[in-house]
Amino acid sequence: MAVQEVVRAGAHRAPAAARPGPRTWRRALTGWSFAAPFTALFLVFALLPVVASLLMSVTDMRSTDLRHPFAVTFVGLDNYTRLFADALFRRAAVNTAIFVVVGVPLTIVAALAAANALNSGLIRLRGLFRVGFYLPVVTSIVAIAVVWRFLLDPDAGLVNNLLAQVGLHGPAWLQDPHTSLGSIVVMATWRNFGSLMVIFLAALQGIPVDLYEAATLDGAGRWQQFRRVTLPLMRPALLFGAVITGIGYLQLFEEPLVMTQGGPLSSTLSVSYHIYNQFGFGNYGYASAAAYVLFIAIVALSALQFRLLGARDAD
Amino acid sequence: MRQRFVAVAAVAALVIGAAGCGRGSGSESSTAKAVGSGKASGEITVWAMGTEGEKLAAFAKGFTAENPDAKVTVTAVPWDAAHQKIASAIAAKQTPDVSMIGTTLQGEFAKTGALDPTPPDLFQKSAFFPGAWDTTVVDGTSYGVPWYVETRGIYYRTDLAVKAGFPSGPKTWADLTAMAKALQTKAGAQWGLNIQPGKTGSWQSLLPFAWSNGAEIAKDGKWTFDTPEMTEALAYYQSFFTQKLAPPDLAQGALEPDFVKGRIGSFMSGPWEVGIVSDQGGKDFAVAPMPTGKSSTSFIGGSNIAVFKDARNRDAAWKFLAWLSKPDVQVKWYRTVSDLPAVQSAWTDPALSGDKILQVFGEQLKSAKAPPPYPTWEQVSAALDTEVEKVCIGGEDPAAALKKVQQQADAIGTGL
Repeated sequence: MAVQEVVRAGAHRAPAAARPGPRTWRRALTGWSFAAPFTALFLVFALLPVVASLLMSVTDMRSTDLRHPFAVTFVGLDNYTRLFADALFRRAAVNTAIFVVVGVPLTIVAALAAANALNSGLIRLRGLFRVGFYLPVVTSIVAIAVVWRFLLDPDAGLVNNLLAQVGLHGPAWLQDPHTSLGSIVVMATWRNFGSLMVIFLAALQGIPVDLYEAATLDGAGRWQQFRRVTLPLMRPALLFGAVITGIGYLQLFEEPLVMTQGGPLSSTLSVSYHIYNQFGFGNYGYASAAAYVLFIAIVALSALQFRLLGARDAD
Repeated sequence: MRQRFVAVAAVAALVIGAAGCGRGSGSESSTAKAVGSGKASGEITVWAMGTEGEKLAAFAKGFTAENPDAKVTVTAVPWDAAHQKIASAIAAKQTPDVSMIGTTLQGEFAKTGALDPTPPDLFQKSAFFPGAWDTTVVDGTSYGVPWYVETRGIYYRTDLAVKAGFPSGPKTWADLTAMAKALQTKAGAQWGLNIQPGKTGSWQSLLPFAWSNGAEIAKDGKWTFDTPEMTEALAYYQSFFTQKLAPPDLAQGALEPDFVKGRIGSFMSGPWEVGIVSDQGGKDFAVAPMPTGKSSTSFIGGSNIAVFKDARNRDAAWKFLAWLSKPDVQVKWYRTVSDLPAVQSAWTDPALSGDKILQVFGEQLKSAKAPPPYPTWEQVSAALDTEVEKVCIGGEDPAAALKKVQQQADAIGTGL
């Protein structure tokens, strides 16, 4: 009944819009009552915590204030200035930046290479490889961590044993502060490129074949076809991949938590991990401020990617 | 655009509103009320972690047999979730009557005002190990009682120690270094001594050396990390790594098998290792107390047990704790889960006094210390752990590292 009402009301929109009559109110009421369950859940479980944490970030709230959460002192932007004076936070920010700057391009290139290989028919047993590349995405990080710790073990690990075969002495990958972050980057790339590969594969299959035929007639080689045809047509998919991966990598947390606990010597401490620690120490205000700094970094990175990779209809 | 301004204004108004509240200067009453006499009655809800959480429900039948009107309901809480769960319960004012509280969390939870002060008519301070009792005292008031304790000593292979020329273990700091060296050169061990080179909890290994050297990490409500005594202790601790006597990156779970195989000659740890080493087939080993610097002072850990202010059945809850603190019940609890009694007189029971290794720990407990129960200890100790790792693995100068710890600790404060 209500749906019919809406449909009929929609048909006679022009006269009703002139002045809000009873019919408009009823329409609004119907609309809101349909949206109410979601709106209520969103307000209570999404917006309220966001606003509460923003408020928390300008107070000195600690876990010892739990019984009287409103009896805290307003400290303005003090938490934010303290944050940038915190050597550990700066270290975490640098680690996270390195992880993103190296990890995002690496993941995209790996995903693009795998998608192209699967699409070009170079590989037999395509289905098997597609499943194989995607498997790390759906595997539990805990299981992955155990396997990678075995692989990277300095004495018994497969990686160092292979290196020993060619006469190289591999480092203690996860225990050496010089190689620990790099090991985490490689592991995260391996773990995440599968989902991008699936998206890129779909984008590749959406490119019309006649474009390649025309390019071949014009005398373009494989590489030129890839550069001039494939890449421009894949731009929306590449943008999506870069933004999603960038957001995910800025929030790096699980890998260091299960592999290195942020060590050795804080070389794999990420911003999210630092926030997690600060919440654990009960510094709710301080941790909230750090979370908002991370949020702003994510927005800035996404905006930059839209600027660099976004649609260029003008040219 | 206008809507956005409205939103900003609303947030600003809320912020100013919150700012208007401010922290009250007067704290809540922290004077202990007496507990009524007579038998306990009604339901007592208890949260406990780990093995204690699994075994306490059956064990509490002894209490309900004496108090037929009372009922003890135990909820087992995993250690990983304990902090979060108790904090949420305090925020929601939905606490149980009683909870086990790890000694390092005591300061934080007591400071929230959620714990009930210990009634002096039921508990004698002198009955407990002094170091353990001190962990319950926050800002001059005791909240809860010690339940069980543990401490640290030096485990060593007796057969290898004979070869190394230290048949009865190390007595002094010089002995410990010499023994570790001799275990490598004369007894064929790859590593002379295992001590934690950093990461979470390495302070528990470092502080016994600091205390044995006369250092205090806090005095008169202020942190004191950059003292000569502390620097000397950290330099001594570091020397085991610079002289290649201690392994810098021992894999998890490798300690006990390596010790049994004789690859590691000695290590520093707590009472729980006796069972693990024996399970691995280790027989020829003994425990020495902390080697003497100016004194032989170890670390006292373990867990307290406390009653919440919002408890529905407060009097019965305290009576349950009084029962748990009886010497014979503490011995029975030791027999059930191997938790060492926090009550001193329980140690005269033959179950404990008859065991050579336990005697060493029992003697050590009388003087063992704990870090001050300040609410920020977890954070300060994490800063200390980070710097200890830099010193042991990164080769940083101990004095410079402690200066950094001091700066961070001062910035963090005591939280009181």
